[in-house]
Amino acid sequence: MKKTWLRDYIIKRLLYAIFIAWAVLTVTFVMVRVGPTSPADKYLSNLAAQGQDTSQVMAAIEARYGVDRPIYEQYLNYITNLGRGDWGWSLSTSMSVMELIKAHWIYSFQLIFLSSIFAAIIGILIGIYSAVRQYSKTDYIATFFSFIGISIPNFWLGVMLILLFSVNLGLFKTYYDTSLSLLSLANLKQLILPVITLGTGMLAGYTRYTRSAMLENLRKDFVKTARAKGLPERTVIGKHVFRNAVLPLVTIIMFDLGSIVFGGAYLTEIIFGIPGLGQISFNAIFADDYAVVVAVTVISAFLILMINLITDITYTYLDPRIRYD
Amino acid sequence: MTNRLKSTRSITRKVDRVKNLAFIIAMVLLVTTLLLDIFVIEMIFDLLTYLYIALGLLFVRYGIPLLYASRRLIQYYWQRAIKNKLAVGGLVFILLLILLAFIGPLFTVDPTAVNFDEKNLPPLGFTIEESVYKIETKQFITSRITGTSEHPLGTDDKGRDLLAMIVSGTRVSLQVGLFATGIAIILGTLIGVSAAYLGGKTDNILMRFTDIMMTFPFFLLLVFIVFIFGPNLALIVIVIGLTGWTGTARLIRSESLSLRTREFVMASKALGASDRRIILSHLIPNVISLIIVIATLSIPGVILAEAALSFIGLGDPSVASWGMILKAGQQNLDTTWWVAVAPGIMLFLTVLAFNFLGDGLRDAFDPRSNI
Amino acid sequence: MTEAILRIRNLRTYFFTRRGIVKAVDGIDFDLRKSECLCLVGESGCGKTVTALSILNLVDSPPGRVVSGEIYYDSLNLLKCPPDQIRRIRGKEIAMVFQDAQSALNPVFTIGDQIAEQVKLRPEVNQREAKEQVINLLKEVGMPIPEKMIGYYPHQLSGGMRQRAMIAMSLSGDPQILIADEPTTAVDVTVKGQILDIFSQLKSTRQMSLLFITHELGIVSEIGDRIMVMYGGKIVETATVSELLNNPKHPYTISLIKCLPDITQVMGRLESIPGTVPSLINPPSGCLFHPRCDKAMAVCSKEEPPPFIVAEGRTVFCHLYSRPER
Repeated sequence: MKKTWLRDYIIKRLLYAIFIAWAVLTVTFVMVRVGPTSPADKYLSNLAAQGQDTSQVMAAIEARYGVDRPIYEQYLNYITNLGRGDWGWSLSTSMSVMELIKAHWIYSFQLIFLSSIFAAIIGILIGIYSAVRQYSKTDYIATFFSFIGISIPNFWLGVMLILLFSVNLGLFKTYYDTSLSLLSLANLKQLILPVITLGTGMLAGYTRYTRSAMLENLRKDFVKTARAKGLPERTVIGKHVFRNAVLPLVTIIMFDLGSIVFGGAYLTEIIFGIPGLGQISFNAIFADDYAVVVAVTVISAFLILMINLITDITYTYLDPRIRYD
Repeated sequence: MTNRLKSTRSITRKVDRVKNLAFIIAMVLLVTTLLLDIFVIEMIFDLLTYLYIALGLLFVRYGIPLLYASRRLIQYYWQRAIKNKLAVGGLVFILLLILLAFIGPLFTVDPTAVNFDEKNLPPLGFTIEESVYKIETKQFITSRITGTSEHPLGTDDKGRDLLAMIVSGTRVSLQVGLFATGIAIILGTLIGVSAAYLGGKTDNILMRFTDIMMTFPFFLLLVFIVFIFGPNLALIVIVIGLTGWTGTARLIRSESLSLRTREFVMASKALGASDRRIILSHLIPNVISLIIVIATLSIPGVILAEAALSFIGLGDPSVASWGMILKAGQQNLDTTWWVAVAPGIMLFLTVLAFNFLGDGLRDAFDPRSNI
Repeated sequence: MTEAILRIRNLRTYFFTRRGIVKAVDGIDFDLRKSECLCLVGESGCGKTVTALSILNLVDSPPGRVVSGEIYYDSLNLLKCPPDQIRRIRGKEIAMVFQDAQSALNPVFTIGDQIAEQVKLRPEVNQREAKEQVINLLKEVGMPIPEKMIGYYPHQLSGGMRQRAMIAMSLSGDPQILIADEPTTAVDVTVKGQILDIFSQLKSTRQMSLLFITHELGIVSEIGDRIMVMYGGKIVETATVSELLNNPKHPYTISLIKCLPDITQVMGRLESIPGTVPSLINPPSGCLFHPRCDKAMAVCSKEEPPPFIVAEGRTVFCHLYSRPER
């Protein structure tokens, strides 16, 4: 019974996600094309500056991308190419956009993954402890620091960490070394500052949300039942209370992943020079390389949608009362 | 009795009509001046000024009457909010900041005045060592530079006074924070309340639209638009405002949904009130506390968005915002670290103050909510 | 007379709130004897539930706290127990059935899982045995098709089924004493009878002592041996069930009994007690009931009535009975 409606629900949501992603794609595409600068302008002016003959290149570009054709034709063309898995050509890096993204996504992923794990584990633990010891000194300190963590601008935090640990103490390099293997310890070490930069705000947020979710559930009747059964306090808190508090937490953590992280992660990449999707899309924006911009925007949007869908599906397993129709 | 009732009602109606008329005339005047300014005399005021006047007019026409109508409620919540010391602290800090933005520039030196004789001065109480190439002796000599009371926060690599820059940046950050939030809140409230009240297809379309807007990677979009259309503070404010309303719309919608079927709304509907009137005088006043909380809590995000934008080099070059100073500081981190530290601290404190205030207000309004 | 298994002396549980100190339980003494059913009766807010929670040390703290008193289980003072020891008594020696099974059961675990938790605390029990025991417990409380029900979540069960699961859960540690806090309040009238039957059955099959808390005098006669009437955090009268129902002494008990709907009277009006439950922050002086009492005397507002033993095992806290030999 559960299986059927869940499958129908997932199909419905997937279709909806595709619709939204399409809408985002269309809006971004139109914005790019009607903007004051044409995609080929900067590339051509660069070539001209190098003293090359631009008319030939212009013809080649026009032939290949059809930027001079009416916008709806370009759009249809783009969609058809997309259907074949072709996201277009990045002019500034002379690669196909697909290849570019394939080469760089892992840097964003490792940063976001490590930061989320770091923030979620520590934030949730502090939140639980703070709720169980409500009104204690530890609770006040945790609450105070979570306020600070939420309010600290993460790009400034990044700069300050570099100033303190890289410039003054010399503990870390000031640039990101891509020659290191991703799974090496040295790579982990150079990710410490970026992870703290991106993770601090998330950690503080999770601490606050965990604390309030735990407090809300600690007051519930079933907690008394669990205690009356003679269960150890560890089980009462860790199983009965936390399992209920985790429900709103999942939504918040996933929502954070979906929205805040993309902005914050991209900024963090720029500060530390990590060549992830954020870095390449900023470079692309400044280089008028719009095929990359469209692709990264649409892929980010689609990821957000998928994360939302996964959240909702997880929810049906976490909360037996939930039923989406 | 009925006559008197009728006459009072017709008076209220007349007053309403006069108010509307005045508002429309003012708006039309504003738009005409703007168009004249753009196409004929070419910009006496910058775009931001027009934006401020428009928002100000809206506030006088709708905001003040709304706040006045809910004054008792606000007063009640206020009594509860001021018990929270952190919230009061936050409010005091914000008020001081506003004061600083207005009268601060009168007391500081010109933030744009370049003076290479006094470049790289550390803040008061700090001493740095700097190697300087002396032309006379053709040698590098290490000299110790101590901060002076003339430049209490020091100077940057062009000898500009950091304190003056910070003070002028205050105005930028507050402007962006307040006005972009203003736009976002107005839009979000209108969309949220209309979706909830009108229901059905309208609700569906508005919410689908909100979904689409929410899915955009907001910061990337912001960077992109600002890059295409050029870094201009008015544009930044408008773009943040036009993209930042989605969360507000959702919250306001869910809050108004329960109001829609309440007796007082039904009653005024039965009495033949128009949709516009019900929305303006029944629904919005009932969600005003939520609006205030959302507004307070969204200002920090907006201020940070502008700062981040300036930080990556897309700030309005004609104004020295905190993000811009921070960027300059980051580039010279090894020589003038204080240029990166000071604006960051200001940003941090401002955001903290708004968070404290918003949190206190939220607790006062509805301690159980999870905004 | 059988010996007492639980002795409560001078128990005071206060709640320290912003508005003042709420004396929810204010100096009560009673004994629960082996395999008897003692009913604790009173209006809502008179301190019945707080009494029960105090026994298991489950009063929410802050704001609540047991400020004085002794609770002896055999010879062990529960109020002086370290947390670890009281935890081992909970469920295994003294178990509790809560009022509203809907909120007292954890919504995200199956009832089988929740009942098995207590069973699994014993190290010698393995997974299969635990499941078997859960099924047996559910059978004992009359749950239909228990093999299937163990996989159900609380929200999938009816109110009566939930309450049965709750009772099965309380039995899972094979306790000596069962405290039932208004177990019939949140269920339908039709289910109420079935739940009461379960309790009478348990009393005879398991030989356990039952502290049955209720605000309905009507159901006391079906299940109780002795009865204790509480008012404003104090006990006002103790007697055997038949004596109390046939010959109530305390004016409060008398009015409570008057309030019972009488099926012999066809069109009678339902009686009610004038006035309201006293504030426990600023309680009236003297006897707490005197503002509502129709037999109140001058002394009632001045002195708190001491216990008067009116007959073998009958105590009344009322100045009416102060004159000896009458």
